[in-house]
Amino acid sequence: MSDRIPWPLGLVTALLLAIIVAPLLVPIAMSISDTPYIVFPPEGFTLEWYVAVLTEPEAQSALLVSLKLAVVSTIGAMALGIPCAMALVRLRFPGRGLVQALVLGPLVVPLIVTGVGLLQTFSLLGLRGAFLQMWIGHMVVCIPYVVRSVSGALATADPTQEDAARVLGAGPVAVFLRVIWPQIRPGVAAGAIFAFIISFDDFAISMWLADARSFPLPLYLYAAIQRFFDPSIAALSALMVFFALGLVLLIEKGLGIGVRRIAS
Amino acid sequence: MEARTRLSPALLGWLLAGPAVLFLLACFVFPAAQTLYLGIGARTEAGVMQYGLTIENYRRAFATDLYWRVLLRTIRMATSAAIVAAIVGYPLAWVLARGRPWLSRTVTLVLVTPLLVNVVVRSYGWSAILSRNGLISWVLQGLGWEDPPAILYTEWAVLIASVHVFLPFMVLPLAGAIGRIPPSAEQAATVAGAGPAQRFLRIILPLSLPGLAVGLPLVFSLTAAAFVTPQILGGNFSPLLGTLIEQQVLTLHDWPFGAALASLLVAMVLLVNLVFIGIIGRRINRWAQA
Repeated sequence: MSDRIPWPLGLVTALLLAIIVAPLLVPIAMSISDTPYIVFPPEGFTLEWYVAVLTEPEAQSALLVSLKLAVVSTIGAMALGIPCAMALVRLRFPGRGLVQALVLGPLVVPLIVTGVGLLQTFSLLGLRGAFLQMWIGHMVVCIPYVVRSVSGALATADPTQEDAARVLGAGPVAVFLRVIWPQIRPGVAAGAIFAFIISFDDFAISMWLADARSFPLPLYLYAAIQRFFDPSIAALSALMVFFALGLVLLIEKGLGIGVRRIAS
Repeated sequence: MEARTRLSPALLGWLLAGPAVLFLLACFVFPAAQTLYLGIGARTEAGVMQYGLTIENYRRAFATDLYWRVLLRTIRMATSAAIVAAIVGYPLAWVLARGRPWLSRTVTLVLVTPLLVNVVVRSYGWSAILSRNGLISWVLQGLGWEDPPAILYTEWAVLIASVHVFLPFMVLPLAGAIGRIPPSAEQAATVAGAGPAQRFLRIILPLSLPGLAVGLPLVFSLTAAAFVTPQILGGNFSPLLGTLIEQQVLTLHDWPFGAALASLLVAMVLLVNLVFIGIIGRRINRWAQA
């Protein structure tokens, strides 16, 4: 199957890969410049911008909001998504096709529209509290990732083992904990990590619902880019690139799950 | 074992899926319907929202030159991004499908990594590359070009950054389709005297159309609905639909008009997806069977 790649194609591939990583590496290069403004190429070497951004109270509180939001959104999406995936894969029930379409719906409708709809609905119902509103919005967009991941894992797990356990007298709880759970654990972990990333990185939902007290990190960064011109923004960006690279390694090496699954 | 009441699959199915279904009906379907309704069920007059069935919002979107141009620009940008992604995507997809395992793993990882990097950070990285004193200008000046043109704050910048991040949505389906083409087909063509261009046009391209039919509408939809990238890289001179919706809702508080624009965005995305899935998908199948 694997052929030798002709050299012009190899060259094009190498060039394209370099272009793909360039915008992720440039902030790192600029963040160590010891000039009070951003220059290319960077001059000198300093880590003071990292210290500056990590000790900035607004950045700290934005990071905290984003982490909290990502944790509760992941938990909520798993609580609703895992049972739903089990029903979709293992049971034939009337309306199953509709449920499947509904669960994947948030992937089809543009996020920005889901967000503006939530803003209008919350205001109609008088539901206040930016954090709660964002939690609900993030759960909506995280559920499809959890359901897809867990369904994928369940579809490859062997249902006859579950039948065997049942015949041998295991109740539904025991079947789930001792037969199903060990088999779907990697899929559940992938779903949880994807949900966490989707929430932690979300801009399109939060932009409608955030307020000054609950201001997630992506919104902070967006505002900061327009306000500050020193390399501390580059330092914060570099930290987020390192975070993403860490996640890639965790997913690929630690869990042995293809990162590509987030896109397909 | 003993007298355990067995739930019917139907009841158990709904018990398990019910919470997610109820949640999504309340927090996804209802808000979407609410937005759709607001676009035709209300209008803003002198800053006050008036309820009542109206087509005024849609008339305004199509009849006002400024808004009409934003709509056209959004369609143009999304279409260009989809086409450029396909052109850039084919070589990568071929290497991914046919390269040695380490190579296709590397390509996949590099391709998907930008998806895990926050959209604001990515756009910021591009702005540092494309700005007047950024990486590209620096290289061009080093090569002797005195005053290279700035790419930042043009539609080109938005196009480049959109293709960059949405490329995996094109390459992965393409690679899937190319992987299903038996390598013997290409080898046979080579033996029969076909050059690389002929092999691409007569074997790879037609047989990978199903992948293209998945990738094109995906990249189109994602680009059309983007907000951050056009905002940071396009500047104030070339807003896309997302920016317009945000301005109408958050700055001007014209919710009915914003809702109508949001509905137009959904209609655009759904239309493109249905066209590709329906008509083109069917035609490809017929072609593939013939």
